[in-house]
Amino acid sequence: MKAFRGEPSIFTSARPEDRRAELEVKDLTLKFGGITALTKIELKVRNGELVSVIGPNGAGKTSLLNCITGYYKPQEGQILFNGQDVTRLSTHHLTRLGIGRTYQNIELFPGMTVLSNMLLARHVHCGYHVGRASLFLKSVQQEEIRHRKVLEELIDFLEMQSIRKQLVGSLPYGMRKRVELGRALALEPKLLVLDEPFAGMTLEEKEDMVRFLVELNEAWNQTMVLVEHDMSIVMSISKRVVVFDFGVKIAEGSPDFVQNHPQVVKAYLGDTSKIE
Amino acid sequence: MNGKSKIERIDQETLSSLGQFTLPQILLRQSERLGSDRVAMREKAYGIWQTYHWKDYFRYAKLVGMGLISLGLKRGENVALIVDNGPEWLFAELGAQSVGALVVPLFTSAVAKELVEGINRIEAAYVFAQDQEQVDKLLAFKGDLSHTRRVIYTDPTGMRTYEDDPWLISFSQLLDLGEELDREQPELYNKELWEGKPDDVALMLMTSGTTGFPKLVMLSHANFTDMASKWLQTAPIGIEDDWISITPTAWIVDQMWGIGVTLCGGMVMNFPETFETAVEDFREIGPTVIVSSSRFWEDLASKIRVKINDAGFLKRRLYEMSQRIGRQVVDLESEKKEIPRTLRLLQWLGIRIVSRPLMDRVGCLNFRAAYTGGHPISPDVIRFFRANSLNLKQCYGLTETCGIFQVQPDEEVKPETVGKPLPGTEIQITEDQEVLVRSKSVFVGYYQNPEATAEALKDGWFHTGDAAYYDDDGHLLIIGRKQDIMRTREGEAFSPDFIETRLKFSPYIKEAVIWGEGQEYLTAFINIDFGNVGNWAEDRKIPYTTYTDLSQQPAVEELIRGEVAEVNTQLPDPMKLVRIILLYKLLDADDEELTRTGKVRRKFVFEQYKTLIDAMYSDKTEVPVKGQVRYRDGTVGTIETTVKILTV
Repeated sequence: MKAFRGEPSIFTSARPEDRRAELEVKDLTLKFGGITALTKIELKVRNGELVSVIGPNGAGKTSLLNCITGYYKPQEGQILFNGQDVTRLSTHHLTRLGIGRTYQNIELFPGMTVLSNMLLARHVHCGYHVGRASLFLKSVQQEEIRHRKVLEELIDFLEMQSIRKQLVGSLPYGMRKRVELGRALALEPKLLVLDEPFAGMTLEEKEDMVRFLVELNEAWNQTMVLVEHDMSIVMSISKRVVVFDFGVKIAEGSPDFVQNHPQVVKAYLGDTSKIE
Repeated sequence: MNGKSKIERIDQETLSSLGQFTLPQILLRQSERLGSDRVAMREKAYGIWQTYHWKDYFRYAKLVGMGLISLGLKRGENVALIVDNGPEWLFAELGAQSVGALVVPLFTSAVAKELVEGINRIEAAYVFAQDQEQVDKLLAFKGDLSHTRRVIYTDPTGMRTYEDDPWLISFSQLLDLGEELDREQPELYNKELWEGKPDDVALMLMTSGTTGFPKLVMLSHANFTDMASKWLQTAPIGIEDDWISITPTAWIVDQMWGIGVTLCGGMVMNFPETFETAVEDFREIGPTVIVSSSRFWEDLASKIRVKINDAGFLKRRLYEMSQRIGRQVVDLESEKKEIPRTLRLLQWLGIRIVSRPLMDRVGCLNFRAAYTGGHPISPDVIRFFRANSLNLKQCYGLTETCGIFQVQPDEEVKPETVGKPLPGTEIQITEDQEVLVRSKSVFVGYYQNPEATAEALKDGWFHTGDAAYYDDDGHLLIIGRKQDIMRTREGEAFSPDFIETRLKFSPYIKEAVIWGEGQEYLTAFINIDFGNVGNWAEDRKIPYTTYTDLSQQPAVEELIRGEVAEVNTQLPDPMKLVRIILLYKLLDADDEELTRTGKVRRKFVFEQYKTLIDAMYSDKTEVPVKGQVRYRDGTVGTIETTVKILTV
């Protein structure tokens, strides 16, 4: 019944210690030949926080995300996830540890359905190997059902019922971004990294996405790191905002603090008027 | 059509005893008889059809009832429902009725002001709201809702931040309260349940207020059980047959079936997953019977035709052949002529190869009977579906008669008539051609409106307000609303409804309003159908932007003029339309131009658009307009355009 909806079992049945996410970035420096993308970055994300990373274009925000999710290997510094050094680990290792992300330029398979795309993320939680799968044993069937149930709950949470069997390539941009989020959530990430989730969306689509992200963070304690340009959204939903400029962290603090910070204003606007 | 062949009819004993019980009492009896073996409801959630058995149905309704008592509900108080189709709707309705409350469903599409007026009119002590949207409407006017003690919301999405408000309580919390009270006082529910009497008013429904203030129709348990037993005896339906619930809960159709026929007959109520998936879910269920508006069938017919156009050569040829054969058979049948053997054989082939798969594709394969009501349907559309072996028939009924009481019998389906009355129904036609009905299903009266009740109900005869006449086969033919019958300057009587319906048979015309009272000739406002005319324009590479733009395009004007000229050929001279205007905006309920059930409020529209109407009776060929539009959120915008007056 609709009276009992909105409680995905991956959240309700998980123990708090299973979803714990503490991220620590120490002294991170990333260079591409002569260009220094990131210089001595220090960042802490505590369990259950929604931290936004903002800054002008080219400030190094996506580079930071790529370091955290294993695409780039920094020359100096460390990344600790739940106390473990994950700096040199590969991307697929990191997903197993519980770091999931969405991509700025949607990385879904356009020729596959929404369900299939989301199902891909479940490989991390798959208990069977090719032998048992090829025989499609009862235990494999049960597990497939369980995965499908998890996905359906996420589809219900993200209100995507009408598109579940549609090819991703045929969906409007805003819905694809939602499927992207769905795929990341299907991973059951401890830390969710979002790379410009609101880019290119209409006002209505943004409102829906904000609703989902806020629900994830406030009701289900999802730890999130968000890179975003839409200031009004960033300022209203973040617990903490970190500002980058030219690869250097120039400010960090509450949204109010950051909004009035002179260096931040200067980085964006070049003068001392307040950012709205 | 022979979808599901076996009908498991409800037994005679149960059927004849229905009138002795209230609807919740019948629910108890059904749960005892059909228990956990038979399905009572299905709701599509999480991608699969979740089932509720009769025992579940009874249990949840009981918990709602007990929950309401726990909150302080007293017998005789009123409960308002602002809910969408779903199990919670039926649990809430029967639950409230079972503990002596009177239920009034309101439209979820109504604006806050309308809802508040409705709730205060009945002094609803409790209101069931579907979701955050409805709750927000109520919260905006909380100060005015002094009678309402609590608001119970079904869907908890987005309600987390409202948890502190003591006025609000979730449906699941209500069930918990009910469970608790039932544990403490296990005898209480039964006691309350059996205090109900069949003549108690169960439900009140708002009638469409085409003229002024909408009235509240009081329907008793006996009204519903009588109507249900008539249907169960005569229609090809039985236990576990499927009904899909997609029309608003504030309308008589789903109420008549939801707490009437399906409850008394052991049928299954099926609820789609979301609004967007409704078409697909409809197809998955393949319901046994449906009562729908003519618009539903017309849209379905156009959809099929459009899809066939895109199909491959072989499919199209097969389709065309089967349609030709089907139509021949249907025409011979309606003229009661003999059908030659070879034609029968070809028809059989056509059904197997084309019709059955086609109907299956749109979810219509399992219909034993399909009814269309509300407005006369285009004869072409009826022939189309009957040619494809779908038993589509016309019917007629009103809220005040607890739904439909006139149905075309299987062997006698003709265009334009509404057939014969159901058993136990008496019909009379007065001198001024008004239809009167008398039966046990006729309503109790209008709430707090004895004058209107006295006018409508005399000696048990309900005055429908519709004008009609009998044809040679004894079938009833509805002309239109009696009060809408107008006279031209020459004294010629005409029914605007009659002409409007025929105009709306065209897929390009969504709405039409005829003017001409006391005038020399008849004129009309036409609302084009944006979807169909848009497609037509795209096919001819005519660019357009908004509705306003499309409606004023010269090519579109020619198209509509042609459609109107076609209808004119079917009308006697004094009734032919002379001048028309394609309105720049769709008539809308939010602008109070239509009722919530889509009927035109003539007087209001007349006053609003007086300048345009006067212009049609002058020499003008165009009129500059500055019109107002009310948007969904209540803000008002203006449209400025020039409207052309076309001569047919």
